[in-house]
Amino acid sequence: MVQVNDMYYAWSPDEEIAGSGECGGAVTSIMKFLLEEGIVDAVLAVKKGSDLYDAVPTLIKDPEKIIETAGSLHCGTLNICNTLSNYLDGAKDIKIAVTTKPCDAMSIVELMKRKQIDPENVVMIGVNCGGTLPPVKAREMIEKFYDLDPDDVLKEEIAKGNLIIETADEEKEISVDELEDQGYGRRTNCRRCENNIPVMSDIAMGNWGVIGPLAGKATFVEVFSEKGADILQKAIDAGALKVQDPVPKGIEIRANIDKAMVNLANKWQAKDFGEEGGLLDIDAYINEFDRCIKCYGCREACPICWCIKCTIESESDDWVGKGEIPPSPMFHFVRMIHMVDSCTNCGQCEEVCPAEIPLAKIFHKVNRNIQDVFDYHPGYDRDKKPPLSVVDKEPSEE
Amino acid sequence: MEWEPKIIVFCCNWCSYGGADTAGTARMQYPPNVRVIRVMCSGRINPLFILKAFDEGADGVMVAGCHFGDCHYDRGNFACDRRMTALKTVLTTMGIEEGRFFLDWISASEGEKFANTMTMVSEKVKELGPFSWRQKAEAG
Repeated sequence: MVQVNDMYYAWSPDEEIAGSGECGGAVTSIMKFLLEEGIVDAVLAVKKGSDLYDAVPTLIKDPEKIIETAGSLHCGTLNICNTLSNYLDGAKDIKIAVTTKPCDAMSIVELMKRKQIDPENVVMIGVNCGGTLPPVKAREMIEKFYDLDPDDVLKEEIAKGNLIIETADEEKEISVDELEDQGYGRRTNCRRCENNIPVMSDIAMGNWGVIGPLAGKATFVEVFSEKGADILQKAIDAGALKVQDPVPKGIEIRANIDKAMVNLANKWQAKDFGEEGGLLDIDAYINEFDRCIKCYGCREACPICWCIKCTIESESDDWVGKGEIPPSPMFHFVRMIHMVDSCTNCGQCEEVCPAEIPLAKIFHKVNRNIQDVFDYHPGYDRDKKPPLSVVDKEPSEE
Repeated sequence: MEWEPKIIVFCCNWCSYGGADTAGTARMQYPPNVRVIRVMCSGRINPLFILKAFDEGADGVMVAGCHFGDCHYDRGNFACDRRMTALKTVLTTMGIEEGRFFLDWISASEGEKFANTMTMVSEKVKELGPFSWRQKAEAG
C-alpha cells in the first residue's frame, strides 16, 4: 500500500510519453491515468505556446491530448492558481488535476483557506522547481552567453546548479550562479525562494535524487496526502505507472540538493533585503512607487487578490484619489494590507509591472517580517488560518 | 510660529473615549493637537484608516481600545491587536519611524493615563517633525 510520506522512482510504461516527457514522463502518465479513469473531469497544465519561451495554461478533457503538456518549460512564469480561481470558478463544479510548482501550490492553499477554491475538487500534482527564467532575458542570455540562436533551442534544463541549453546538434551548460552574478539567470523572486519541493500538494515529482541506471529515465515521487497516496496506488495497480523503491543514497542526494537551494535562497534574501537591496527608508519605497501608472496589472496578476469589490478602484470610497498619476502610495498599501500575510512570493506582480517596480521584492520583504511576528508560513498548513483572519482571545505578542 | 503636529487618535466608544471624557471632566491638561475620532469598537479600525490618515496629512496616529478582557463586544480588541501588529510590521519594514504610530489600551476610568499618553505621543511626534511620504525630498 502506498502511504503518506512514501517515496518512489516512477516512470511511464508508455514509450511515447516516456520519450516526450521529462525523466520517464511520470507526471504526464499520471495525468493521463486520472482522466482516463474519470477520477478528474479535466487537467489544468501548462503547454508550449508559440515557442519555448511561451507557456500557456491549458484545460484538457481528452486523455489523448495530455501529451501536449509533456516536458518542462522553465520560461513558464505564470501562476496557474490564477487560472484556477478566476476562470474555472475555483473548481466549484468540476474536478481538476493541476500541475503545481511550489508557488502555485502555496497560492492554491491560501485561496482554499479563503474559500475561493474547493479543496475537495482539486488534485495537486506538484513538480519540483529550482526557479523559472524570465522569457525576454532568457533569449538575450542564450545569445550572449551560450552563443546560440534562441529559436534553435529544443530543451532547457536546470541540473546540479547548471543551466543546460540544448539545440539539435549541441549542448552547453553554464552555472546559474555565474549567470545570476551578471544579472541574468532565474527571476529575482525565484532566487529568493526557499520552497523547492511542493510539500503542500498531494504528490510531488521531480528529477532530484534519481541515480544509478534510472537516472534521467525516472521521476522521484513523494506522497504528501491521503488523496495523493490513493491516486498513486490506483495508478500503480492499473499499470499506468511503473515504480521502484528509491536508492537510500538518492534520497540523501535529493535532501542535499534541497538544502543547497534553501541556503542559496537565504543568501539572496539577505542580499535583497539588506543594504545591497536598496529599499532602506520610506523615500526609497516611494521612489519606486512613483513610477506606477496605475494599470492595476499587479492586482490582476496577484493570485491572492480575489475581492469582488476592490477597494483600490471602488467608485464610492475615496481610498485612492482619482485622476492622479502616479497614484498615492495608498494604491499599493491597500493591496499590501489585504494580502501580504498570504503572499507566496510567486513574483507575478513584478513580472507584469510595466514600470518595473520591484513589487515582489517589497511584498516578500514585508511578508517575511510578518511571518516572523505571527509564526505563520503562507501556503503550508491547510488548517492554519491567515493571521489576520483569526479572531481569538490571544494577544499577538508575549 | 512654532510647528504643531496633527495627531489622529482613534478611540473606542466604550473605554478609551470614556477615558478621554474622564480626563475632560477632571480638567486634566493635554496637548490640543490631538484630534479624537470615535469608533464603536477598536475592532472596527481598519489598518488602512491609519495609512489613510498619514496620506491625508497626519503626523502621528494612535489607536486606543479597551484592555484585554474588557471589550464590550467580547473580542474586538484582540482583532485590533492582530491587525495593528501587522500594520506596525508593514510600517517598520517600510522605514516609517516607530514614534509615529501608537497602540495602547485605555479604560474609561483611566483619565490620567489618557492625558499622559496624549502628552507623550504629542512630544514624540513633535520631535520627529512633519510627516511626508517623501521625507528627504521635502527636507532638501
